[in-house]
Amino acid sequence: MPDHTSNGMQCQEFDGLLTDALDGVLTGAKLDTFQAHARICSTCGPLFAEVEAGRNWLKDLTEVEPPVSLVNNILASTTGVDTQRLRVNVSLPQPRIGWIERAQAWASGAMQPFWGTVRQPRFAMSFGMAFFALSVALSVVGVKPADLRQISLRPSAVRHAYYNTQARVVRYYDNIKLVYQVQAAVRELKRNVTPAERRPGESAPAKKDHKNDTTQQPEQKQDRNYSQNENHLILACAPLGPSVFDPLNQDPLNQDLPVVSVTTYRRFV
Amino acid sequence: MLVRRCVAGDAAAWEEIVQTYNRRIYNICYRFAGSSDDAEDLAQEVFIKMYKTLASYDSSKGAFVTWVTTITRNLLVDHFRKTKQDRITDSLDATSSAHEDAQPLSEQIQDQSAPPDQHVRSREVQESVHAALARLSPELREAVILRDLQDFDYREIATVLKVPEGTVKSRINRGRAELARLLQRTYRQVM
Repeated sequence: MPDHTSNGMQCQEFDGLLTDALDGVLTGAKLDTFQAHARICSTCGPLFAEVEAGRNWLKDLTEVEPPVSLVNNILASTTGVDTQRLRVNVSLPQPRIGWIERAQAWASGAMQPFWGTVRQPRFAMSFGMAFFALSVALSVVGVKPADLRQISLRPSAVRHAYYNTQARVVRYYDNIKLVYQVQAAVRELKRNVTPAERRPGESAPAKKDHKNDTTQQPEQKQDRNYSQNENHLILACAPLGPSVFDPLNQDPLNQDLPVVSVTTYRRFV
Repeated sequence: MLVRRCVAGDAAAWEEIVQTYNRRIYNICYRFAGSSDDAEDLAQEVFIKMYKTLASYDSSKGAFVTWVTTITRNLLVDHFRKTKQDRITDSLDATSSAHEDAQPLSEQIQDQSAPPDQHVRSREVQESVHAALARLSPELREAVILRDLQDFDYREIATVLKVPEGTVKSRINRGRAELARLLQRTYRQVM
């Protein structure tokens, strides 16, 4: 604003008195000077008119009604209180929301982060594969969904099912043990029969072993390496040395020949 | 008294405060933010903030309504800084916001040249003034709103805005003049 004097009043002073003049608190000689300046000054006169017009425009603006739910929302978000009285005060009829819809709305809000992850194709594929593997496993084991309906969850029934399962496991284990015992007996029997058949060709395998010797190792070490031939049978749980049964070597002085600690299950099958 | 009861845990006192001030606060928010949705959210935030800081109110420092308005104004300024949507104070031919069908303000007012009903015309004029108000800079807008729409005196406005009374008067004058220029230019186009 240019600061020049007109009619005994500066424009800056005029600007300061503008609000007072519009509010009607400017009276007397001050008001006369003010009005005279407004008439003469080419800047302050239009300014006064604009300010007055702007104020008049703003008078047209009436208060707006806040939404009916505002008070309810405020109280719910501050104190968490949604009083009966407030609900009565709300003039617009609120749509009735059933508990199912409310539960769905709550669940959709709560599950939003979870669903965001689940909806990813990578996760869906993994979930599908896991479901497929589970269903295949259940069908192989023999579990049918129809059987689950007949399951009783009474304590006595659960206890009964537990003992049944335990007995089944023990029986299964005993059956396996029996098979091993039979196999061991058969091997024992075989071993007792074998020396009688081998006696005529006794020296042949030994010669063959020496001919194919390319290890350049002492004889005792070679025996150690080739101790797993058909004639040296070793019991799985037998101690080393004296317990090794060699039907061809009956000499008590030569009992500690093969010092082999390696046993293979292949031998027992 | 009401505040003291509320601070002591009286839920009814808080409810009374909300009932008394929700209209005023909503209107300030509506005129400043420009949209009813924003105004509702902002009014709710104001009351939440008020509820949390009610114990800090000191009656010796000023009236409760001044304190409430200060909270409202601070929150509105924060909101304005976050959104930065009202910084444009362009001419009337600038494109309006979405709820005004993206039509220039001058064209909106031009359409109102022959309203069939006085009530409808009044409502449309109000909308035009509201749209023009939204084009003022925030400093001018808040001063004009507090003075011309909320009838605060200059000292209260100075307290709320934390500026001297002279600055308040100057902002009010500039705001009114700018608003008049915006609307008068439009009406000149209409005529």
